[in-house]
Amino acid sequence: MPQIQLTLNGSPATVDYEPHHRLLDTLRYGLALTGTKEGCGEGECGACTVLIDGRPANSCLVPTYQARGCDVRTVESIPAETLRPLLESGATQCGACTPGVVVTSAWVRSNPELIETHTLRQLMAGNLCRCTGYDGIIDGVQQGLDMDAESRGAKP
Amino acid sequence: MADRTMPSRSPLPNRPMNDGIAMSDDANRLDGVAKVTGSAKYGRDVMPKNGVFVSFIRCPWGHAQARSIDEEAASAVAGVLEVEITGREGRYHGEPIGHIAAESLAALRRARSALNIEWDPEDADTEIGSPEASHDDDPDGADHVLEAVYTTPVQTHSSLETHGTSIDHMGDRAIIYASTQGTFSAREGMDRVLGMPQSRFKVVCEFVGGGFGSKLNGAGKEGLTAGRIAAKYGRPAWLFCDRAEEHLDTGNRPSSRTHVRIGYRDDGTIVGGSVRTWGGVGVAGGGGGVVMPSNRYDLGRIRKQHADVRFNGGGPRAFRAPGHPQGAFAEELMIDEVATATGRDPLELRMKLDREDERRSMYELGARLIGWKRRQPTGTQASVLRRGFGIGSTSWNRFPARADAEVVIHPDASVEVRTGSQDIGTGQRTAMAIVVARQLGVPLDVVHVSIGDSSLPAGPASGGSVTATNTSLAMLEAADNLKETFLERIAAQLGVVAGALKIREGDIMQDDRRMMTWQEACAALGSAVSGRGSRSRRSDRQYSGSGHSMGVQFVDLEVDSETGVIHLNRIVAIQSCGRVICRKTAESQIIGGVIQGLSFALFEDKLLDRNTGAMVNPNLEFYRIAGPADMPKIEPVLWEGNQTGIRPLGEPPTIPTAGAIACAVFNAVGSPVRDLPLRPDRVLDAIEGGRS
Repeated sequence: MPQIQLTLNGSPATVDYEPHHRLLDTLRYGLALTGTKEGCGEGECGACTVLIDGRPANSCLVPTYQARGCDVRTVESIPAETLRPLLESGATQCGACTPGVVVTSAWVRSNPELIETHTLRQLMAGNLCRCTGYDGIIDGVQQGLDMDAESRGAKP
Repeated sequence: MADRTMPSRSPLPNRPMNDGIAMSDDANRLDGVAKVTGSAKYGRDVMPKNGVFVSFIRCPWGHAQARSIDEEAASAVAGVLEVEITGREGRYHGEPIGHIAAESLAALRRARSALNIEWDPEDADTEIGSPEASHDDDPDGADHVLEAVYTTPVQTHSSLETHGTSIDHMGDRAIIYASTQGTFSAREGMDRVLGMPQSRFKVVCEFVGGGFGSKLNGAGKEGLTAGRIAAKYGRPAWLFCDRAEEHLDTGNRPSSRTHVRIGYRDDGTIVGGSVRTWGGVGVAGGGGGVVMPSNRYDLGRIRKQHADVRFNGGGPRAFRAPGHPQGAFAEELMIDEVATATGRDPLELRMKLDREDERRSMYELGARLIGWKRRQPTGTQASVLRRGFGIGSTSWNRFPARADAEVVIHPDASVEVRTGSQDIGTGQRTAMAIVVARQLGVPLDVVHVSIGDSSLPAGPASGGSVTATNTSLAMLEAADNLKETFLERIAAQLGVVAGALKIREGDIMQDDRRMMTWQEACAALGSAVSGRGSRSRRSDRQYSGSGHSMGVQFVDLEVDSETGVIHLNRIVAIQSCGRVICRKTAESQIIGGVIQGLSFALFEDKLLDRNTGAMVNPNLEFYRIAGPADMPKIEPVLWEGNQTGIRPLGEPPTIPTAGAIACAVFNAVGSPVRDLPLRPDRVLDAIEGGRS
């Protein structure tokens, strides 16, 4: 089986992969990182969102080989304490879209300048949810941004 | 670890109107931590070692015969275990005609293309069409007659986790990891295909990625086929649909056509008439009912007839309030058409027609919250952007279902709530913990819930909003029984009479004196104590579980009269559900119901090609569901009016939304759009038609 080297959830890793496997398959089936979900398999729903070099990507559209040398982060690497606002605001119901939502929200929160040019609803538009109606999601991301601003000592 | 940074309770800063109504105002979803951290394991996530992958071979056309199938070539693909063709005719796009089992998903894909099936397409019917309504006499006592046809499309459930089952076959026993709405019904037929008695296998569905009715079909063809393969090879088996299969073959809300011929007087009074409805049920034998009239309004004497229409499409399954949203769409818009024709305000007319006094109070509140006073009479706006306001109403009956429950106090001071019922995202897990914590008198933090496992006490399948309503009654009884036994044992230790003891915030109290802490009392038990409950006639009386839920929704939107695009500003959803258990999950259920109604109103449409019968949008790009940027501000209002019993909440909030939106669009543009979804081209047609 071929291998690639990458940084996975903060640690250097050598990963075996099937040549035809999407990054999503390698994560879920090869590495048992099942937090990343498959919702549509063609880049429409965002359930499989991971961060590749800090940017959100649908891992169902990325051949595993393409992630060689990249910094890949999955939902499993997002620090639990930063997720508190999403829990509190009720950003999850059935939870199948939630890991993708969490990863996209982590991207928004590490790039807070995005909200100067985009609305949160636009930034989160790549993640479809069938249950919550998005209010809890948007509230949770906003509260996360507020929390981050506060801890940086800046005025929100 | 995560528990320390992730609180089980935290106050909500917004929506002060809902403060203090629920049993728990601030409880967070109990499984929220597992869900946001990605540790929650769904059926689809369980891929047992040495598993066999299975997929269906499906018809790609609306109706076709497979002339030739190269089974040999497919069987010869490396890693393929078997190819089985069970039929040659496909009657709808996505109908299985056999299956493949293989060592990997890749081998399945290769084998599917190696089959090289040559199809002979046949003529396919793709829609209800325009059946003739038989002529009816004009209703007695009418000054005018409204004749109109309202239609709604096929809507797919589009759960984010697709249908399927993963079976861990361990020789003489098995665990079925199913994505199901019925932990117990998912066993049906599984004994037969596995060749095992039900005592040797169990169904586990701790986490289910949505269902909305589509996962109420027992083990389903996915589960039974996976079961057959698991038994045949004595190995684990995994079969999950992809997104296209999910749209094609896992049920839907059937399309509808409603022909009304209704009489009304100059003052807006509706005197009756006829309502004929048709439901588009695909190849299924039935299930296309349209709930119109709803019985919420006094519409005089209505003669109702319904017929299901078959065509070459996948059959329907229950979908959140089956038959209701499509009926409510026709009914609400019809009422607004009568109101407009008679020069009456639709709010005022509903106050007159509605049969429920309580809903009248809801209309008053909703009108205030949405700012109904700003509504301009229908058809009076000529600006590019036109504002519209609309109303819809809802109701849902409480249905009895069997439910057992058990609550256990462990010596380590934890309380275990045991129910085999499933939490498909509704918040069942959280609700049951709150009900038990409250009844026992212990803090929520000590309560843990075991759920979604057929070896636990039986619970109902989650359909018709029966899960929390019935399981909670059994839980209350279990908690009461447990409390009695527990206090007897503690009283014996303390040398007092049990009747003198109470539990307050976990402390064991006699009068106002703390006799023991919760930890001390549980440790003194020595062994676990449990109490059981069962939903029965007796428990229904004792814990007052009767009554139905109702609600109203108000919509405020804008229509761009040049593009026909609808922009939602706000939706106010007032909803009663008896005694609210958990505020956060209840608000979330209401908002979630609204968004599904909104998505139905504006976007969703399972389109079958008229020539080939194939679905042209089996994905989430062209089968569009509402996304974050489509959503207005939704304000759920928990209605305190009839706070008795634990009443349904899952279905009712999705019933009125599409109708209310259609009414608001009518108000804005001056002519009704009688076909869902309210696409821009249809809105423009209505505007043009109104001008001519």
